[in-house]
Amino acid sequence: MVRPSQPVLDAVGTLARVGLAAVWLVSGALKLADPGQTLIAVKAYDVLPDALANVVAIALPLVELVLGLFLLAGLATRWVAGAALVLLLVLIAGIVQSWARGLSIDCGCFGGGGQVAAGQTEYPQEILRDSGFALLAVWLLARPWTRLSLDGWLARGRGNSTEPAHDYSGIAEGN
Amino acid sequence: MAQARGASGDKRKWIIGIGAVVVVAALVIGGVIWTISDKNKTEGQIINPGQTTSSLAGDVTQKRDGVVVTVGKAGAKASIDVYADFLCPICGQFEKTYKTDVEQAINDGKLQVRYHMVPLLNDRSDPPGYSLDSANAALAAADAGKFLQFHDALFANQPEEGKRGYDKAQLIKLGQDVGITDPAFSQTVNAGTYDQQINAAFQQIENDPKLAQDFGNGQSGFGTPTVTANGKIVSWQDPGWLAKVTG
Repeated sequence: MVRPSQPVLDAVGTLARVGLAAVWLVSGALKLADPGQTLIAVKAYDVLPDALANVVAIALPLVELVLGLFLLAGLATRWVAGAALVLLLVLIAGIVQSWARGLSIDCGCFGGGGQVAAGQTEYPQEILRDSGFALLAVWLLARPWTRLSLDGWLARGRGNSTEPAHDYSGIAEGN
Repeated sequence: MAQARGASGDKRKWIIGIGAVVVVAALVIGGVIWTISDKNKTEGQIINPGQTTSSLAGDVTQKRDGVVVTVGKAGAKASIDVYADFLCPICGQFEKTYKTDVEQAINDGKLQVRYHMVPLLNDRSDPPGYSLDSANAALAAADAGKFLQFHDALFANQPEEGKRGYDKAQLIKLGQDVGITDPAFSQTVNAGTYDQQINAAFQQIENDPKLAQDFGNGQSGFGTPTVTANGKIVSWQDPGWLAKVTG
């Protein structure tokens, strides 16, 4: 067994962080760009009363963008990864319930969404994709220290100038 | 030295933290304001009546019969039925593409069109209800002989699905702008006089096997827009459909 070296793990974590940031930024921006379509997509899941669906349709794109920005900056990585994981699980649960109930909808994960013809649902693909994103979040939750992150930059300022740059033991505790 | 760096590091952390909170708060507030204003952009707007159908020939009649409006000249040989919802984007597409040709055929006395207003997407506006309100208002406009002008203006200024439609006051204003002077018009719009009839007709339409289309994958059903000629569904995606109908 060869234990992967610290720089390799850091590189993987950095890729996971930037990748997950891109996912949230893109999906949030696409949803924000078309609020009407987002509302229809939220309503199509048919779990929320109209008033609440409206609030979710406004809040969801913004929450996604905020998660994306934090991940991109690498700020409070562990907390944000945890929040991202929770949100992904909620979204997957939403897709699963519409699959189980036999609704025919498009998840609206990256804009669009709403009802589709019965033969055009892509539930397994959507769940698989979101599960992949969830794995990135799990990695960052378990090992949040990455390169080029504000977390790392802040941790370096903590006073131990002899520490190597990539040792983020400080934030591992702090976060 | 180590202590000094530690102190400045803490300060840095605070500044970053506060900066992040400010940026996030601004983003969220800005996002909420933008979203709501974009969804409500039809609010207070005047629907442009346009010049779209000012060229209708003098002997073209617009007659309401129940919830169907027949537009055309007496003695036109061909006739079609158009089932559409004022909120439906593809219906808007259909109107954009073929309105001129259809209205030309009406003017030439070749074609009568029976317009059915179908509130299929009634819960797809925010607040819900635009499909039904606009359908009712269009029938009221037909009573005043201004159906097609009203119809064309609504499609030319079509609101988006999932967003705010037009309210009754805006529909009434449009009616006045296309030349309706009868005070009964605004009463009919406000009272939703034809709502029940429209909904009842919609139920029949939805369950009519002759209006069901095949969506592929063994699925079929009613969708908007649907165009029929002689009781058969016309595939209007074919650019030559109108010529075939009018012969």
